[in-house]
Amino acid sequence: MTTEPIQAAPLLEARNLTKVYEDGVKALDNLNLKVLPGEIFAMLGGNGAGKTTTINTFLDFIQPTSGSALINSIDANQEPLEAKKYVSFVSENVQLYPNFTAMQNVDFFVRLGGQSNYERADYEHALIRVGLQREAFDKKLKDFSKGMRQKCGIAIAILKDAPAILLDEPTSGLDPKAGKEFTRLVGELRDEGKAILMSTHDIFRAKEIADYVGILNNGVLVAQKTYEELRGVNLEELYVEYMAGYMDETLESAVLTNDLD
Amino acid sequence: MLSLLIQKELKNILLSPKFVATFAVCSILILMSVYIGIQEYNNAVIQYEANQEIARQDIAEASNWRSIRNILHREPTPLQIFVSGLHFDVGRLSNISTSDDIKLIRSPYSDETLFAIFRFIDFTFIVQIVLSLFAILFTYDAINGERENGTLKLAFVNPISRASYLIAKFTGIWMGLIIPLLIPILIGMLMLILFDIPVLASDWGSIASLIGLSVLYITFFIGIGILVSSLARKSSLSFLLLLVIWIGGVLIIPRLGITAAGQLVPIESVAQIEAKQDAFQRARWNQYSEDLSETWRTRSAEMEGMDEAQAQAYREEKEWEWLEEDDATRKQVQVDIIENNRVLYEEVQNQKKIQEKLAFNIARISPVSSFRLAAMNLAGTDIDMKSRYEENMRFYKDDFTDFVERKQAENPDEQGGMRIEIDESGVSIDFGRDDQTLDTSELPRFEAPVVQAGTAFGNSLLDFGLLVLFIIVTFGGSFTAFLRYDMR
Repeated sequence: MTTEPIQAAPLLEARNLTKVYEDGVKALDNLNLKVLPGEIFAMLGGNGAGKTTTINTFLDFIQPTSGSALINSIDANQEPLEAKKYVSFVSENVQLYPNFTAMQNVDFFVRLGGQSNYERADYEHALIRVGLQREAFDKKLKDFSKGMRQKCGIAIAILKDAPAILLDEPTSGLDPKAGKEFTRLVGELRDEGKAILMSTHDIFRAKEIADYVGILNNGVLVAQKTYEELRGVNLEELYVEYMAGYMDETLESAVLTNDLD
Repeated sequence: MLSLLIQKELKNILLSPKFVATFAVCSILILMSVYIGIQEYNNAVIQYEANQEIARQDIAEASNWRSIRNILHREPTPLQIFVSGLHFDVGRLSNISTSDDIKLIRSPYSDETLFAIFRFIDFTFIVQIVLSLFAILFTYDAINGERENGTLKLAFVNPISRASYLIAKFTGIWMGLIIPLLIPILIGMLMLILFDIPVLASDWGSIASLIGLSVLYITFFIGIGILVSSLARKSSLSFLLLLVIWIGGVLIIPRLGITAAGQLVPIESVAQIEAKQDAFQRARWNQYSEDLSETWRTRSAEMEGMDEAQAQAYREEKEWEWLEEDDATRKQVQVDIIENNRVLYEEVQNQKKIQEKLAFNIARISPVSSFRLAAMNLAGTDIDMKSRYEENMRFYKDDFTDFVERKQAENPDEQGGMRIEIDESGVSIDFGRDDQTLDTSELPRFEAPVVQAGTAFGNSLLDFGLLVLFIIVTFGGSFTAFLRYDMR
């Protein structure tokens, strides 16, 4: 008697997701992907590849033309209020209310996310965890740098404690140190069992942290590789080739076997 | 969730510099306007009482009933402190005599032209102009500003409905604007008590209705602000659009209504009316002359064949009859002329009413007109204030004339005017004051027209209803726009 390994249900899943805009532009073309608990899926792609469209569809900011975006098996576009209970989001450029302090902003957005049992100590713990200096807690956001705002954004996502997290270019514009800290945090969240779907331009960070890397080109997921498959692969070259759209099997094989690390 | 969103919205507004500016500006303006209004009202009361006393003295000093005259003054109302309306533009007195027609003359601004240059800023002006601008400032980026900042997207990552968000947005902004309106106006009401302004229960009712009206007016501007902010993608564009809407609604449409009504229902000018009256009068008197000539020819014909003595006797016999006939014909001419003048006056008044109604109905396309018209109705400083006073004064004039004629009939030997005597000691002038004292205790008393709060509210009901309708339309529009709003 053989036992099949128990496969956990994906927390984030795109099923044949297609989006065609009114002007005829196809932003997503039959996209299929799954992110299980404890996994990071990094979407790579150039501008207009469909990365942000995918995230916006999961957040119900865009209605798909066909297919579905599921969060915890709930259709995000059919039952958005139910689906959003299970997802957090950190954008490329986290913007909070400038007249509120960091603590006030965190309190508002966390309570908006449905968590109303936290105390100040919990907020402080989360803010320290994301690397925000204690003296900044009660300062107004208008004096914050982009890095500090991003830290507040990830603290809000952590405190919402949703099982799935969407990250849209989260390290864009951050200095290397802040980027590294952010990557460490995302890794920790993955280890806590969160399912993370991240769009990024940062090939090296994607390779460093992601369990899966998908390359999108004109709304099509042209490649999907596991962490193991990418080991020893020149991901940059692979990415460029896929983006150029003339990758064939021979070249792919050559790239995948050429350990340039 | 809704209360959390409302709290956030209110907190965001209360912590913003624009709230501090709004609160400071509204407080200063409203309290200043109430204080100046109280001073103006007190001055008007002092002037009114002094003029009444002078009029009483003039009557008391009159030598005879034939020459008695009265002057009636328009009574100041405490509500003019909040809504000056037409108070400063309508005449404040009219002569009452048996011969003069009623006409309110000498408006406060015609007497005090300096104050007309920088007109009195009352509470309605502050609400109409200043608070509506602040409402635009609070709402122009209510939706698109949050989209531009990224906070809209961050909020909607969470399980909140668009309806809750919009209701919270509206409620928060509404509270943020109502606070700078209500606190100063409540202090202003307290000032009325502290300064011993005689505010009647009915007046308090009107003030409460006025505050309710102002709240509706501000609510409309919040609604239109949120609507435009939901329709325009960029806050800079929505600000521009709202500014254009504000200029159109506040400055253009109300005036356009008046101009359009003037074109659609033309009314003859005073000069044209007077020319018509003169023409009729001339024609009627010419006719009278011709008729009189004809009458005399007929009368002469009746005497044909008589000798001189017979004719003389006949003339003497008929003299009174003919005089009475001629007098009756002459009086008929006068009656015809007066009747013609009355008909012309009524025609003009009817045309004016039609024009006025049309002007108001066109102007009511803008809620600003509804607000202004309703506010003036509530305070009794509306466009009918003049006609209300003049009508009551005409009633008074009839009573006054009857009274004077009765007194004249009771004193048939009364001589009017002054008496000049020349004797050996020289010339003496006697005004007759010492000879007799007129008993004016029974002189009719003038009752100023009073508009009760209930009546005033009834008169304003259409405008209240229109404001509510405008609010429903703007909020319906906002909801429709926001339900389809692209959050990205």
